[in-house]
This record gives sequence, structure tokens and C-alpha cells, in this order.
Amino acid sequence: MLNLYLFQILNGLGLGMIYFLIAVGLTIIFGLLNFVNFAHGAFFMLGAYLCYTLLQLTGAYWVALIAGPLIVAGFAWMVEKVLIRHCYHLPHTFHILITVGIALILQEGSILVWGPIGKSVPIPDMLQGVITFGKFAYPKYRLFLIMFSAVVGFVLWVLLERTRFGALVRAGSENPEMVSLLGADIYRLFSLTFALGVGLAGLAGVLSAPLRGAHPFMGPEVLGLAFVVVVIGGMGSFTGALVGGLIIGLVQSLMSTIWPQGASLMIYAAMAAVIFLRPYGLFGRA
Amino acid sequence: MRDSMVFDRMTLAVAVILAALPVLLPSASLAGEILIFAMAALACNLLLGYGGLLSFGQGLFFGVGSYLSALAMIHGGAGLLSALLIAMAAGAAVATLVGAMSIRRTGIYFVMLTLAFSQMGYFLAYTLSDWTGGDNGLLDVPRPDLTLFGVTLVPLGNPYAFYTFIAVLFFIVFVGAKRLIGSPFGSTLVAIRENENRALAVGYDTRHFKLLAFTLSGMVTALAGALYGMLINFVPLSNIELSMSDNIVIMTIIGGTGSLLGPLLGAGAMVILGEVLSDIWPRWMLLLGVGLILIVMFLRGGLWGGVEALAARFGLQRAAKEERP
Repeated sequence: MLNLYLFQILNGLGLGMIYFLIAVGLTIIFGLLNFVNFAHGAFFMLGAYLCYTLLQLTGAYWVALIAGPLIVAGFAWMVEKVLIRHCYHLPHTFHILITVGIALILQEGSILVWGPIGKSVPIPDMLQGVITFGKFAYPKYRLFLIMFSAVVGFVLWVLLERTRFGALVRAGSENPEMVSLLGADIYRLFSLTFALGVGLAGLAGVLSAPLRGAHPFMGPEVLGLAFVVVVIGGMGSFTGALVGGLIIGLVQSLMSTIWPQGASLMIYAAMAAVIFLRPYGLFGRA
Repeated sequence: MRDSMVFDRMTLAVAVILAALPVLLPSASLAGEILIFAMAALACNLLLGYGGLLSFGQGLFFGVGSYLSALAMIHGGAGLLSALLIAMAAGAAVATLVGAMSIRRTGIYFVMLTLAFSQMGYFLAYTLSDWTGGDNGLLDVPRPDLTLFGVTLVPLGNPYAFYTFIAVLFFIVFVGAKRLIGSPFGSTLVAIRENENRALAVGYDTRHFKLLAFTLSGMVTALAGALYGMLINFVPLSNIELSMSDNIVIMTIIGGTGSLLGPLLGAGAMVILGEVLSDIWPRWMLLLGVGLILIVMFLRGGLWGGVEALAARFGLQRAAKEERP
């Protein structure tokens, strides 16, 4: 019984790290660009499909793991240059409208390319099977997922907190005009940050593909979850995205043993409870 | 005071459109669908165009109206009017609750909260599949005749009769919305949209106004949802999905926010395009995505804004101005 709970807690951590990667990308983009990306879930879906295709083409999971997010990020970089750049000065309504448009194109485009029925992605050969600790056995891939995303989270933290790029992103989140006046190329910074944030969503898609597969309509659900994480954790906060993501992952995973049909519902109930008690989220500033 | 008259030019134009729609379109049910979504878009526009509140909770209110009216008819033996009233009351209650939780935040946080609550409603409907039918939807939704105290006034089995019923309701909602927007309540909403802090400083309890706008919007949206269930004799789970909220918001913005005829234009364009294009190419939503991007790039006033601009170009500025609410 205890093992079952340990199993579900580890599952929840893995799920939570995926939610963290999605939400932290959303939050970085919003923090610097003051732009809400309603296509975030669609880019996650693109990552999952790329994982499927790259595995089909090369048979090597590590290729998908590296190339998948990079392709998504490169695509996002282009989209930023061509479309999104022209909208920063518009109200949020137009940010939402244009990214909803992009999400629709990605969703319908993926049906054209990959068909209306979802694709399942096999767990890579190297990571198949379970790893045992005494009496406790745990799937290798899920353990890899937790460790890999923890490493990515740490690298991201170093990037944001300990590098010049991170300093520019943080300064730009406070006051983009000032950063621009001090000589930094703010538009280049915007493109890179958008590509980074969306690339993280793509990475989350690649990582979750062997567990959840790829499906053309997974975008809206993922977008909703990312919003829940951000609402719980507080927008623009790295810690908030991490804690929010883990809370949601754990709630979903533990509830799925107690009340499987209601697991998704309980995520939203948890959010409503947090919002009721703390309108600005756990780590949000007023 | 021409503006406050019931039968000014804009209202007359709406009456003409309502009469012409079923004649111009191939079927009365298509015309009815347009009006139902126009009603939902009108309610969305009350929040977005006048209050500046972009709500992604509209699909939730729509779905609540669909489900509760259908359940009241199937299990409670409710008649037409009582089913609609139940839907409206439930929609108003849910909207008030979602509104109260969401308007504590402003800007994008507000939008995210409404979207998250909307998803919560979706999963609730999905989880309660014994009642809602879950993925399969709620089947065999009746369309009762219009009765009052047990006397059948109008049988609504005929598609044109039901269209007329929808049109009458739409007209009532339209006139009501027009009067509301012309009232001090409407001006206060616009003041909140333009500058909430100033409205607060002048002494308006902006929370109160926003919440009331939510309640009214939820009520009308739920009415639209209830009518939709009766129109297609079915409540699919997609009625409460995020895509429903998306569609209602898209129709509102495509039509043009902050105008009363915009929603009718937006709903008409999207329903007709969907009907025509989905037969030719099932992936027509891709074109809708392209259309949204083009609107953001080139036609920010929406279709109604485009109509106004065209009117101005042909020297009809005066007429175009008068039509503005």
C-alpha cells in the first residue's frame, strides 16, 4: 500500500515537472514580452508529434529529445519575427486572437500531416523496463523523465539567474525601455525569449510523448493546465511555476488512484481553493 | 432622444435582418443557429466590448444552459418556458460565481481565471457522465411546444416556427441590450473599460458593475445554450468545451467589439462559413486561423469596423456615425 503511494508520488513528480516546463515557458514569455501565448498548448502538441516523427525517421530517442525542442523553438523564432513582433503594442485581446489563430493552424495542420487519430509513441529501448530498489520497482522511463527535467530546470535557473542573457531577461521584465536605452538589442532578446519559452513547451511535448502519445486536440487541455499552474504559482515566477506544477502533478496522480474519473476535475478544484484563499497565487505579487 | 426609442434605425435594421434570414438561407435551422450564436456573442460583447472584460467562461455558461434546460425537460418534465428560465437562472448563478472569483484580478490574470473555470466546468460535465452522457453527449433533447398554463400557444415542431421563436427572443435580447448600453449602467461599464481607476476614484463601485455585467452575460449565454440544445435535439460535450468559449469570443471579435450589430455579423459570418466550407474541406478551421491573423494584422475593428470604414469611404460618414451606439 505504501509502495503504491510512493509509486503515485513519483508519477506525480514526473507529471509535475512536465507541467513546470510548460508553465515556466509561458511565464518567461509573459514576464519579458508582456504577451500571452494562447498557442502554447499547440506548440506542446507539435513537440509530441515531432517526437513521433523523429523516432520513426532515426529510431534514436536522443535525437528526438534534442532536435524536437530545437525545431519547435526555431519555428517559434520565425513566427515571432513574422507575426508576433507586430502585435506587442496592441492590447492583450489581439495577442490572444493572433495566438488562437496560430493554435488553430497548428491543430488543423497537424491533422493534415499526421491524420485525425492520435499517434502513440513507444518508450525508447534503452529506457524500457523497470528499475528496482529492494522490493520497489519503478519504470525506467518515468525516472529518467524526473531526472532529465530536473536537470533542464536547473540549467534554466542558471541561465536566468547567473548569465548575462538571464540578467537582460529579468531586467527587461521590469523595464524593457530602459534595457533598450542601455544598448541591449531588445527585439533580439524578445525573439530569443519567445523561442526559449515555446521551446520548453516543445520539450515538454517530446518528454510526455512516450507516456501520453500525440493527439491533434491535446493543445487546449495543456493550455488550460498551464494556466492553472501559473494561476496557482503566480505569473512571472520561476519558483511559482515549479511549485504550482508539482502541486498539480501530485494532485492529479494521487487522485487518479482514489477517483480516476475525477482526477482532472480535482486539479481545477485545487486551483479554485488556492484562488479563493490567495487571489494572487502562492508566489504572486499584487 | 432618438437613441432611446425602441424603433430607431438600428433596431429596424435588425428586425429586417431577422425576417430576411430564413428566406435568404437554405434552411431555417441554419438561420436559427446564427441567431443563437449571435445572442451568445452579444452577451460576450457586453463584457468585452463595453466592460473591457475578455471572458473565456462563455462556453461554460452556454454549456450550463444547454445541460440544465435539457435535464429539466428530460427528468423534470419542464415545459419550454420553464426550461429556458431554469437555464437562465443557472447561467446567471454560475456566471456570478465565476465572475466573483475572477474579477478580483484584472488584465490577463482575469482572462486566465475565466478560462480555467471554464475548463473546470468541462471536466465536471465529463465526470458526471451519468447525467450529461459524457463523451457521447446528452441525447434525445426535446423541443416542447410553447405553452402557457397548459394551453398550447404555438407548436414549435416546424423549423420555421422554432426559428420565429428564436428570432423573437433574439429581438427582445437585442432591444434589452441596446437599452442597457444606453443606460447609466452602460456608460459606467464603458468608463470602467476606459479607465477603471478613474471610475473608482469618481466613486463607482466598479466590482459591483463588473459582477452585474457578468450575471447578465451568463444569463443570456445560457439562454442561447438552451435554445441550441432544443434546435439540434442534442447536447454534445463540445457545448461546454474550451472551443465553445473560443468560438464565441472569436465571433464577437470578428464581428467587431463595442457595437451592437457586430455580434450578428460575426456569428453570421462564422456559422455560414463553417457550414459552406466544412462541406468542401473538413480542415476549414485552418483558414479560420489564417483569418484571425489577418484580422489582427489588417482589420482590427472587425467586420463591423470594416463596414463603417467602407461607409466612410463612400461619403456616408454621417450615417455611419449615427449607427454607433
